[in-house]
Amino acid sequence: MRVGMAPFVELTEIGIRLGGKEIFAGMNARLERGVSYALIGKSGVGKSTLLNLIAGYLTPGSGSLTVGGEPVNGPRRGTAFLQQELGLFPWQTVAEAVGMPLRLAGGVTDKKEIANKTAGLLAELGLEGVAGSYPAQLSGGQRQRAALARTLIGEPDFLLMDEPTSSLDAVTKESIQLLVQEQQRKRGATLLFVTHDIEEAVLLGDVIFLLEAGGGLSSRKTADFEGGTAREDIRFYESCIELRQWMNAL
Amino acid sequence: MKKMRRFVGAQVFGFISFLLLWQLICLALDIRVIPTPAETIKQMLAEPRELVLHAGASVLRVMAAIAVSLAIAVPAGLLLGGNKWFRTLVSPFVYFIYPIPKVAFLPVFMLLFGLGNVSKIILMIWIIMFQIMLSVRDGVDSIPGLYFQVMKGFRASSWQTYRYLVLPAVLPHMFTGLRISIGISLASLFFAENYATTYGIGYYILSAWTKMNYPEMFGGILTLGLVGLLLFKGLDALQRKCTPWTAKGR
Ligand SMILES: Nc1ncnc2c1ncn2[C@@H]1O[C@H](COP(=O)(O)OP(=O)(O)OP(=O)(O)O)[C@@H](O)[C@H]1O
Ligand SMILES: [Mg+2]
Repeated sequence: MRVGMAPFVELTEIGIRLGGKEIFAGMNARLERGVSYALIGKSGVGKSTLLNLIAGYLTPGSGSLTVGGEPVNGPRRGTAFLQQELGLFPWQTVAEAVGMPLRLAGGVTDKKEIANKTAGLLAELGLEGVAGSYPAQLSGGQRQRAALARTLIGEPDFLLMDEPTSSLDAVTKESIQLLVQEQQRKRGATLLFVTHDIEEAVLLGDVIFLLEAGGGLSSRKTADFEGGTAREDIRFYESCIELRQWMNAL
Repeated sequence: MKKMRRFVGAQVFGFISFLLLWQLICLALDIRVIPTPAETIKQMLAEPRELVLHAGASVLRVMAAIAVSLAIAVPAGLLLGGNKWFRTLVSPFVYFIYPIPKVAFLPVFMLLFGLGNVSKIILMIWIIMFQIMLSVRDGVDSIPGLYFQVMKGFRASSWQTYRYLVLPAVLPHMFTGLRISIGISLASLFFAENYATTYGIGYYILSAWTKMNYPEMFGGILTLGLVGLLLFKGLDALQRKCTPWTAKGR
């Protein structure tokens, strides 16, 4: 085994059809461990489909897909998928929702330990005040954070997020972006997220994947952009412009 | 506390308006068949023990029927919602039976199970069961596919999926089913208690009718109303406890 060399995620000649329509054919991609990837591309090119494949929700028609060296068949322990519609259950309070993955995994069975871990993460994400609230009683940003907490609690090494901030106002969006970045870096997790937001791609992505119809992927490192990649950097917007130009050139 | 006082106030106001309306009708019609509220209540207070025994017998029948119905109909509804094979097999039968007024089965049950309590309770089970089964099935049907994906993503077992997703999702629907069927079952019990009964509020009303004791008859009707009110309020309280996330619960 070439463990040291092997990429964390590897897609080889992946093909998939949905409803008789070919979405990807002969798609190839590699993701390295601990790196953050932004996935951009026009609406309908298959960004969500790609995430669903990697998450193990969809099975490719052809080709091979491995995560952590193992072939993917069904959801993998360690991969956490935050879908665009969040999927918070109306009958669970924030604390119940965030504690659920621990109960499901069965590793932690002590009620107190679950409660402690949950409370710790809620505090970290600024949710301690709404631990007992139901989703219907939360603001959009709180809901987003609650769902984020639910994906983080199991300490995943691989985070998949489909447009994690698209429904939020500008201020809330920034706070969620910072939260995602902080958590991903702290945990050394691999992150693959879909976005339609150029700034978000530059800000959060170490690498930007541009997906085209049929499954063609181009990639660029944000470190290679002329401008900066931190929002405080005055030249941040130069990077955004560069990304925009690259997208338009393709 | 303030909310409580307003609630009690509204109930008292409602009851007084009801009595006033009743009194007005008495004055307008001025016939012996409709006694005044005062006459009726005096009659009710004259032999409260008797009335409580009759009402109690009816309530016990309804409670027994509800308990058995839940035990049968909830699992059946879950199967109907979750298992295609069972659904295909049972649906035509359910749709055939459902629109028939269930009281029509009373003679059948009396022939099969005798004139006593058993046939009366089985009639009510027959009524409540279908309603709850269909409500539970609709509840399962209305669970968004996304929620199942979430559970799958956390690698939940099917038992866990029932425990954390299906059962809570179905609970409010079960209460709706109960609420509908309690009304119908009380109405049907009234018929059923015509036969071979010594205790039961339906019997009480009809025997007062044959005796032409109209205050007693109205006392019975009023009591039947109170029994219904009690059951509905009890159900509301139970739902507030069991489904705190719904509008009814909050
Ligand atoms: N279950 C399905 N059956 C048939 N076609 C599907 C199905 N799901 C998705 N598609 C098609 O696959 C293509 C890719 O869809 P996908 O949702 O992955 O796009 P996307 O890039 O995420 O778009 P958006 O940016 O709008 O979210 C679309 O053309 C869509 O119509
Ligand atoms: Mg999408």
